[in-house]
Order: sequence, then C-alpha cells, then structure tokens
Amino acid sequence: MRPRPIRCMAWFGWLALVLCCLLVSTVSTAAVPDDPFRSPMWHYNLSRYLGEDATVQHSDQVVLKVPHFAEDATQVPLTVDLSGFDSTVKQVITWVDLNPVPHLFTFRPEATEVRAIALNFRIQQASTVRAAVQDEQGVWHIGSVHVDAAGGGCTAPSATAGNPDWAASLGQMRGALFSPASGAASTRLKLQVMHPMDTGMVSNIPRFNIEDVELRDAANEERLATMSLSESASENPLFVFDLEHEGREAGLTLWMRDNGGNVFESHLGV
Amino acid sequence: MRYGMLLLISLLLGGASASAESFRYALEPVEITPDVWVIEGVTEDFSRENGGNIVNTAFILTDEGVVVFDTGPSRRYGEQMREAIASITDLPVTHVFLSHHHPDHVFGNQAFDPATLHALDGTIARLQAQGDDFAENLYRALGDWMRGTEVVLPTQRVTPGRMTIGGRDIELIAMSGHSGADLVLLDHSAGVLLAADMVFYQRAPTTPHTPGLDVWQDELRELAALDFRYLVPGHGPVVEGRAPFVQMQDYLAWLDETLREAASQGLTASEVMRLTIPERFDEVAVARHELIRSVTHLYGRYERDVLSPLAEGG
Repeated sequence: MRPRPIRCMAWFGWLALVLCCLLVSTVSTAAVPDDPFRSPMWHYNLSRYLGEDATVQHSDQVVLKVPHFAEDATQVPLTVDLSGFDSTVKQVITWVDLNPVPHLFTFRPEATEVRAIALNFRIQQASTVRAAVQDEQGVWHIGSVHVDAAGGGCTAPSATAGNPDWAASLGQMRGALFSPASGAASTRLKLQVMHPMDTGMVSNIPRFNIEDVELRDAANEERLATMSLSESASENPLFVFDLEHEGREAGLTLWMRDNGGNVFESHLGV
Repeated sequence: MRYGMLLLISLLLGGASASAESFRYALEPVEITPDVWVIEGVTEDFSRENGGNIVNTAFILTDEGVVVFDTGPSRRYGEQMREAIASITDLPVTHVFLSHHHPDHVFGNQAFDPATLHALDGTIARLQAQGDDFAENLYRALGDWMRGTEVVLPTQRVTPGRMTIGGRDIELIAMSGHSGADLVLLDHSAGVLLAADMVFYQRAPTTPHTPGLDVWQDELRELAALDFRYLVPGHGPVVEGRAPFVQMQDYLAWLDETLREAASQGLTASEVMRLTIPERFDEVAVARHELIRSVTHLYGRYERDVLSPLAEGG
C-alpha cells in the first residue's frame, strides 16, 4: 500500500507540469503569431529588438514597399508607408532577418508625427524584411516582406573605400522638401549624406558608420525625432521622412554623429 | 492525352523550347537573307527553364569563313552554336565579334579559338573587371546550364570602320549607349544591321551600365539613319524596317521622363518601382522587372539633381 500515494503524487506532479507547459505555450503563441514567411529568425529577432514580453501582431497598416528582388545587394530601397496606420506611432524598428547585424534603424518621433520613412539597406542573402511599429498602447504592429537576393551586400567594400578623396565629401548633405502625393498636411523631407557606412565586415576596413540622427526645429532646436542606424544601412544613406508638425517656418536642423565621433549638422530651409 | 498535349505544345514552341534534362538549347539558325543566319532567343529574363537562351546571336558566311556575332550565355550554348554552324557549312570560323561585355553575349567564348575573338577596347576592359561577378550570378540563376563556363577575354581589339571580310562589305561601328562599349555590325552586302543590345524589341531594355539614357537615345538616332533592310536586335524578333527604333525611343523617353518627374515630386525609389507602366508597353516583355532594375541603376542620378547642397551648421 505504501508506494501508492507516492506514485499518485508523482502522477499529479507530472500532470501539473504538463498543464503548466501547455498553459505557457498557449500564452506565448497568443502573444506571438506565426510568421507567414517562416523565417528561422522570427522569434529571436522579435525578442532581441522588441523585448521578451512584447505584444506583437501582424498588420496590413504597416506597408513595406520593397522590390521583390535585390538588383543591387548594397542598395535595396525600403519605404515604410504608415499613411494607413490609424494610431499614433511611438517608434518604428526595422530589420533584415538574415543579415549578420539584422537591425536597420529605430525611429522615434517626438514633436512630430511620421507618415512614411524610407532608407536603403544592404542584404547579405535572400531574407525577410520587417518593420515593427509601436502604437500608444505599446502594441507592436509588424509588416513583413521577402526579398530575393544574390547577396553579399554587407561584405562588399564601399564605393567610397576605393576613392582616395572620400574624406573631402564626408558628411556633406543634400536635401529638399516636397509635398507628398498622399497629400494632407505632411511634408516630405529627402536628405542624402555622404558617408561610407562601412560595416566592419570587409577585411582591413573597420566599422565606420553614422549611428545617431536627430531632426530638430531650427527655430528653437526642439527635437522633432531621433533615429539610430546599424550596419544594415547602405552607403551614402538617403533618408525620406513624411512628417506632420506645427510651425516649421525656420526650417529643420539635421544632426548626425558617427562612431568615429564626427558630428555633421546642416540646415534645411522651407 | 496529357502527353499528346505536351507533345503538341512542345511542337508549337518549336525552336524556342529548351530541354532541361539534356541541357540542349535546341538552337535553330534561320537564314534571314542569303548567308546571314540568326539564332533567336526568347524574350524572357534568365531562368533555369530557358538556360539563358534569351539572346539573339548571328553568323555570316563569307567566301573565306564564318563571321560570328556574339557567343551566347554559356559554354554549352557556344558549343551547341558551333554544332549548328557546322551543320550548315564546313567553312572555318575566322572572326568572332563580341558586341559588348554582358554575360549573355560572351559566355560562349570558350567554344571558339581565342585568336578569333574580337571586341572593342572598352568591352575587353569591362569584361576583365566584371566577368567573374557575372559568372557567379549566372551560376546562381541558371545552375547546371552554366557548367564549365569561364570568362575568356577577347585577344583582338576592334578598330571601328568599313572593311572587306571574305569578300563582304562590313562596317563596324562603336557606340556606348547600352553598356558603355557597344559594337554594332552593318553588313552592307546583305543590308543587315546587327544592332545587338543597342536595340531591344518587344522586350524591355536593360540599363545596368548605360552612360545615360540621353546618350543612348542620341546613338539610336544615328543607327536609324543607317542604310539597311533587316534589323537584328540583341533581344526580340528580327524585323524588316525600323519599328524597333520607334519602340526603343518611346520606351527610353518614357523612362527618362518618368524618373525625372518622380524625382521632382520627391518619390522614393521603391515608390517609383510601383508606378503604372503605360498600356502601350503591354507588348514589351518583362517591363516591370526591368523598371525595378532601371530604378536601381538610374534613379539616384535623377534624385541628386533635385537635392540642393545644404549649408553646414544649424
């Protein structure tokens, strides 16, 4: 008779454990939906960039405009179109699943609202590209797209590296303001800065890239938005932002800093 | 019944079909006018189904031998082209002219004596610089069709001008609009213009190495003014007359105008790639694919033109 209660207890213990596991897995599948692209990096990159406990859902309001194949693996155009996003954007994080350093950029609007962001990225092999947009409730809305590529975009030497005069143009900016076709009150800012954006993945060329970008109101230096960039960003980055905010008569101050401590600052009038 | 349908389809497709199992291109030279033969490829992009046979190659029979114009996308193509030539004539191949450095035109070089390979200076330099990268891309796109294919550089530098080859009156013309160094062959004896990739017909032109659409358009006007009867484009059907020039000018002007207008509106590259293509280009194959490629190649130049240098400091 004696062994019986022990066996019973063991049995209940197992049952409890199995139930717990089931509960935990049910909870985690509810929080993180399956990836329709079946990327092996789906869960890993979600927790890496959005945190372990992030609430995540797929969204067709986060539209990624990216060609379905990369004609140039060092310059693949991405436009994150948020014109249909019906909540306030707290931040936008983008990454390329299978790149050696997947992260492309994190954009945080402060005294402005963002309707679109564009930036070219490098692609190391065919991969899914993600944009995660956090709303006011803290929920992440994910847009995804797959890009076919011959690859090698992260380990190709920059064109700048082959130019002995590269330092002469380092940090030079060109830009202009446009009225986006989507209309409304927003302004489109297009801006290109000359910078090799070396990834550190080419032998004998250390990482050398712009890490921080700030957009400020030139009148009072109030910060409108910040952006951080990683190795997936392309050489001579060309940024496009559709922004909505009040009183920009004085124009914008564009501030950037690279990992070498160089600070680049320019003014863009209206 | 199903096999019957398949047989019927393959008969209908005729020379255009390629057999993936045996890696035979089923090359069928057509004599477009006495002694001038053309092997026409499909108007598609590179794929494992077509093995890269997306290009037109040609050869001309002279009194002394065979003049070959372009060697195709792979070693297998070059070898099978030689078989096709040998089925028509016993004459030796005396000259191989390579129109430009793009892989679909020069990767059959291994099948020919290197001493017979002729090209413009600029073509040899470009092939030397970019050939291995092209090969890597094509191995990925075509797989086993590419087996054994290696870059072979031409040994003979072409001096443009009019000359007699094996009794035929031949003019070699140097241009640059498509790839930076483009050789066009005009056979005055036969009235045939071998335009290579300076002219695409019913297939969207490719732009990775164009010095500028304006340069290309100017040179097309020069070509259209030449005296010839038959026009052999680099891609697309052979025609009598000048219809391909009209379509080319129309397409290039549309592309140029579209990119300029898009840049002035501040569109992003990925937005331009999605723009509507006019219905009149419905008959032009792979137009969307080539628009995506052309935006990658060219749009940055148009964008820079409308961006102003910014003053430093806040």
